Amino acid sequence: MHVHDDPDVESAELAVRLVGGDREALAEMYRRWSPLVHTIALRALGTREDAEDVVQQVFVAAWRGRATLRPDRGSPAAWLVGIAKHRVADVRTQRYRAHRNLQALASEVVTEPTTTHDSDWAERLLLVHELERMGDPRATVLRMAFIEDRTHDDIARMLQMPLGTVKSHVRRGLLELRDRLQEVERVASD
Amino acid sequence: MSHPTDDELVDLALGEPVDASRSAHVEECAVCSASVEQLRRTLRLTSGPLAYADWQAPDDAVWARVTAEIDAQPDAPVGAGPAPATMGGSDAGPDAGPAPTPPETSLLHDERPSGTDAPERPDRPDPSDRPASPTGPAATAGTAYAPEPVPADATVTPITAGAARATRRRAAAWGAALVAASLVVGLLAGRAIWSPNESGSVSQVALKTLDTRQREGQASVVRAGDGLDLNVVTDRPLDAGDGYLEVWLINADGKRMVSVGVLRPGETGTFPISQALIDQGYVVVDISKEQFDDKPAHSGDSLLRGKLPA
Repeated sequence: MHVHDDPDVESAELAVRLVGGDREALAEMYRRWSPLVHTIALRALGTREDAEDVVQQVFVAAWRGRATLRPDRGSPAAWLVGIAKHRVADVRTQRYRAHRNLQALASEVVTEPTTTHDSDWAERLLLVHELERMGDPRATVLRMAFIEDRTHDDIARMLQMPLGTVKSHVRRGLLELRDRLQEVERVASD
Repeated sequence: MSHPTDDELVDLALGEPVDASRSAHVEECAVCSASVEQLRRTLRLTSGPLAYADWQAPDDAVWARVTAEIDAQPDAPVGAGPAPATMGGSDAGPDAGPAPTPPETSLLHDERPSGTDAPERPDRPDPSDRPASPTGPAATAGTAYAPEPVPADATVTPITAGAARATRRRAAAWGAALVAASLVVGLLAGRAIWSPNESGSVSQVALKTLDTRQREGQASVVRAGDGLDLNVVTDRPLDAGDGYLEVWLINADGKRMVSVGVLRPGETGTFPISQALIDQGYVVVDISKEQFDDKPAHSGDSLLRGKLPA
């Protein structure tokens, strides 16, 4: 395993290795991101069994569809989340159909899927994951700015950091997070 | 007039003061206003109620299921064979990877052979939807330490140990009937198709490491009286660490597996199995390293594996 200071470089390298057919890269991706995929699926579907099925499907699909991974789009995490969204949607459709069929037996009409959901779970969790993964001080700056809703002046004072540095972390960080969301959208809208 | 910089768009999204002519441009420009909207959406999603996630890792056995499914159905075609990874540079730039080829397989649709896990699952009583285990907890309980024979009609330990397939229970009655029927068919078909050669060996396969594909052992199915034996031998003793080695038959669907027994390092293991297991698709021989942890499920730590030929 190579050691890099920059997790993005490491992730991009993992992506390149996967595209090249390196099974160990898949194993490493599983170690890093199966909790992310599993948590998303669990939140969306509610049962461990379905969530683990989704995890299995996502990583099998990641292997078989590795040619669609774009190492230049940064961390493969967003790519995996995009695949996971598809799989979760598939399970929901299956449930809906099952539900509808059962209901049809009972001569009733169903208008809604069985699970209510916030369709942004996957994106939210990915962003939390990215924030956790991001090195400091940027992660702290972003947390204070976006989650704790502090002003840039506040952050600069509390972290004893020049205001310009705070602003630059906020800008870079937000752009980076935006790029992750775009990657999810690219994969999920395929 | 040129578009604002990314930084200026961020400032707009954040509500920071921005030069008036810049914000006027964004209002007019579809690309820029979409970009600002994307940034605002990112902000909204980041600042939502979910500041800290309660990460939950999947069960260890799921990784074994992933590799088993991949091994059972080796590479579905992936584009035009991507070039070997460029390992040289640590800065994998945009050009570091092969050009993305439109894959013949899609991420969006289940690539498994129909019948193993089809999207239309709930529409029909699928055999794979059978209840967790008609033989009940006994099948689950026996997996960890018990090298007992697997009876011919044993239904197999579900991979999600003990987890009730609650949502699929409705198919239980159907499933049980189908299992019974398919066992009969399987037994009949199996007898007809599987004829041993002179040596009594029905089939055999090299056992290889999962990562480097190094051949380090062999598994063979041999006739033994009325049933079948699975013989497992490794070229050199496997390291069980402070745990033990367990031999599994994993179903080609990657969803189910059964423990066939414990292998002592450096010894040949002989495990009674049944034709029905083979017929039902339990054809991937797997040796895993297990800990004494009271968890009957596969640890996910597979040392060697091989798929018996059909």
